[in-house]
Amino acid sequence: MRFLAGALAWLESRSGLGAFIKPLMSHHVPRSATWWYVFGSATLMFFVIQVVTGVCLGTMYAPSAAEAWQSLRYIDKEVPAGWMIRALHGWSSNAMVVMMAIHMLQVFLHASYKYPRELNWITGVCLLLVVLALAFTGQVMRWDQDAYWGLGIGASITDRIPVFGSQIRDLLLGGPIIGGETLNRFYALHVFILPGAAIALVGLHMALIMRHGISEMPRPGAPVRPASYKKEYEERMARDGVPFHPDASQRDMIFCGVCLIALVVVAAIYGPFGPGGEPDPTLIDTNPRPDYPFMWLFGAVSLLPPASETFVMLVTPGVIVLALFLVPFLGNAGERAPSRRPVMVLAAAFAVIAIASLTWEGLASRWSPVMNGWSALPTPAQFVRGRTPLEMQGAVVFQFAQCRNCHALGGSGGQRGPALDDVATRFTPEQLTRQVQQGGGNMPAYGKNLSRAQMDAIVGFLSTLTPSYETPAAIPGAMLPLPISSAEPAPR
Amino acid sequence: MTPLFSALSSVIARRWLASVALLVSGVACDRLPGAPSSSSAPPRGSPQWTLATFDTHCRGCHSMADEGASIPLMDRSYWTFASDAHVIDATTNGQGGLMPAFLDENGGPFTADEIAALARGMRTQWGGSVAGSIAATYTAGNAVAGGLVFAQSCGSCHGPTGTAGSLLDPSYLRLVSDQGLWASTLAGRKALGMPAWNEPMPGRPSGLTPGEAADVVSWIASQRPGGRGGAP
Amino acid sequence: MSEGPGHTGCEGCGCTGGGSSGNRRAARRGFMFKLGGGLMGVGALLSALPVIGFVLGPVRRTQKNQWVALGALAKFPPGATRFATYMNPIQQPTDGESIKTACWVRCISEGKYQVFAINCAHLGCPVRWFEQSKLFLCPCHGGAYYEDGSRAAGPPPRGLFEYEWKVEQGALLIDAGRLPGMEDST
Repeated sequence: MRFLAGALAWLESRSGLGAFIKPLMSHHVPRSATWWYVFGSATLMFFVIQVVTGVCLGTMYAPSAAEAWQSLRYIDKEVPAGWMIRALHGWSSNAMVVMMAIHMLQVFLHASYKYPRELNWITGVCLLLVVLALAFTGQVMRWDQDAYWGLGIGASITDRIPVFGSQIRDLLLGGPIIGGETLNRFYALHVFILPGAAIALVGLHMALIMRHGISEMPRPGAPVRPASYKKEYEERMARDGVPFHPDASQRDMIFCGVCLIALVVVAAIYGPFGPGGEPDPTLIDTNPRPDYPFMWLFGAVSLLPPASETFVMLVTPGVIVLALFLVPFLGNAGERAPSRRPVMVLAAAFAVIAIASLTWEGLASRWSPVMNGWSALPTPAQFVRGRTPLEMQGAVVFQFAQCRNCHALGGSGGQRGPALDDVATRFTPEQLTRQVQQGGGNMPAYGKNLSRAQMDAIVGFLSTLTPSYETPAAIPGAMLPLPISSAEPAPR
Repeated sequence: MTPLFSALSSVIARRWLASVALLVSGVACDRLPGAPSSSSAPPRGSPQWTLATFDTHCRGCHSMADEGASIPLMDRSYWTFASDAHVIDATTNGQGGLMPAFLDENGGPFTADEIAALARGMRTQWGGSVAGSIAATYTAGNAVAGGLVFAQSCGSCHGPTGTAGSLLDPSYLRLVSDQGLWASTLAGRKALGMPAWNEPMPGRPSGLTPGEAADVVSWIASQRPGGRGGAP
Repeated sequence: MSEGPGHTGCEGCGCTGGGSSGNRRAARRGFMFKLGGGLMGVGALLSALPVIGFVLGPVRRTQKNQWVALGALAKFPPGATRFATYMNPIQQPTDGESIKTACWVRCISEGKYQVFAINCAHLGCPVRWFEQSKLFLCPCHGGAYYEDGSRAAGPPPRGLFEYEWKVEQGALLIDAGRLPGMEDST
């Protein structure tokens, strides 16, 4: 025991580690810093998980376009606990993005970024960008079809930059194609550059927290006055503060512990992300989707009108990042309480609603055709019962001409165009014919591709699509509407 | 100090061992719900493969007895007369009209082997053996005699004034090939009220004979504006 | 490079300060500082050059497009649009499967072709041909194109990218290589 104490004393005398750590643990934090303050710690904890699991994966992953996908399959299926490490890495990355967003929202709503903590906010914004870049490059590491085509989307956006677009694209991809060097480039970013930047920024962020202290809970009528803030804050901390450990750290520990358990449970239940289909670009029967953190972006680029698309895609991210950097300088002093900052609260609400609804739209992807809808989704029974031969044939044309890829019947099919269950209540046969022939309203024109007979049949079928269409009680014997085509009676 | 140390170390060792055992049994247990399934795609020709392939590429038109607009394949009636060779030919080259060709060389998604496996798999799934009482491929009969059969057995529902909608609609006849008419006549759509060729129908309590079926299809085809063929 | 102000104290030098020798030392220190800064600058520049050249390498495009055979003309019957694949002539040693590339070949009539890139002109996802409706559809954002590659509906700002083609010895060749993009604007 005495030997141990001696060894510790020696270590402390040579390294000074204890003297470094002690103020970290014992510095005073405001008594009002309660459960609102745990999200930053949770973000950091998830980052540590990322580093640990990432290093584990680094021992097995083959950063080569020829082998990456196979090595992930190997980790998933052969390596003991390999899939669990991948699942932890994947879910922890999502959790880190979520915790970071909540942390950022809390800091924004409580205006903790005001004097003297402007740099805390700015390093935080830098961390946000680095973490999002880690998430994107992490998706590339899977090197499956989503990764390949996701890179294609990134390349296409880069390509639209004026003047130097294609050069920047080549720089990003490491060549004129998405290939071996592309993966290695993103690998270097994902495991060296971005984690290095993140660790440096986290260190800076923490040093700034130590320098300026944790902000108090905002109170209405207690504005920040830069001239006297620091002195008053230090006086309040000395008088009324509590040591970080254990008064505040216990809450962090409880929250982080719950998060960690939840992470393991979620990872054990839902497993790792991908890898999806093998990265063979000639397998085009694929439906590329980004990971959750970028779903809102996927939704946004789908909903932009083509005319303004390039401008919005290239300029908006810059404007948003600039606005985030400027936040602490736009309102550097004054009231911090949300109740006294209605505009900022509205701005935060707008951002949350915008990202949530765009994510929702991205997940639903109503603009995307159901690529095998025509060959996979049968015409529901209520739409074939009691139809004439021509109308039945119209239903076949409806499938055959891939209408189902964009239009739903009976709740299944594409959502790109309107559902057609009751289209006959909205369109006369003449209007139906014109719409199918000429298209319009984001529908292609089918005029050239459908014969007269096909058009007759499909319009005949569509004209039966009303909620009140009477299904005959028994066939034969019930009266049925005549087909709308000019049926000349054949000679008998 | 020594007894303290040994007591401490034994406690630590026991705890350590226990937690390692817990970790190994918990984490290495690949029975957790998140563990990636070790099974890869079902092998070609297996029932799962057949169903998955059918669901993706065929079911949109050829579904169950009461749904889908074209001949139901998830129903026995078609398989009683359609031979494997016929199914393979229809899938490979299409059937004129609205059935596309599915062979890769013809622009479709399947290799020849896949088409053969699919035909066999579908029969195992829904078919059974071919009855052999009538050929799956249409050969023309006597249109004049067929006119009489139509008037007696089909016209009450399918004639120009019939209740189930006229078969003689020129647009319908232009869309459907002779082979398509033949297959529809043979298979029927019992769930929708139309009997198969050998089932009771008006004027014919024991259904049609193979000859009558050929005759009546010939007559229906002869009513097509512009005569034979039937292509869109 | 961090260039501090040089050391100002004299504790570690073993020197005895004072007088004109102090001035000489100050002058020498100024010279040494400039020399150090200059050497570091030149060294940094020299070592940075290969790093910059290495990182910017891909922009130089050492590999060019080449003519690639898509197969015999018989594979592309008149009136049909068919799927074709080829190995990208621009290759790197570790590409694996990712150099396999797909395209759509439309034979308008005997000897007249259009070869479309697989990549949607919107954001590069793989478009699929639907023979029955004579449309190319994109699974990502629902871009749609007509048979001739022109834009039919959805977000794409233009029609499909096309490769240049030629017929040699009964085979169809295209000028392929780099990922199609805005440079190919027509």
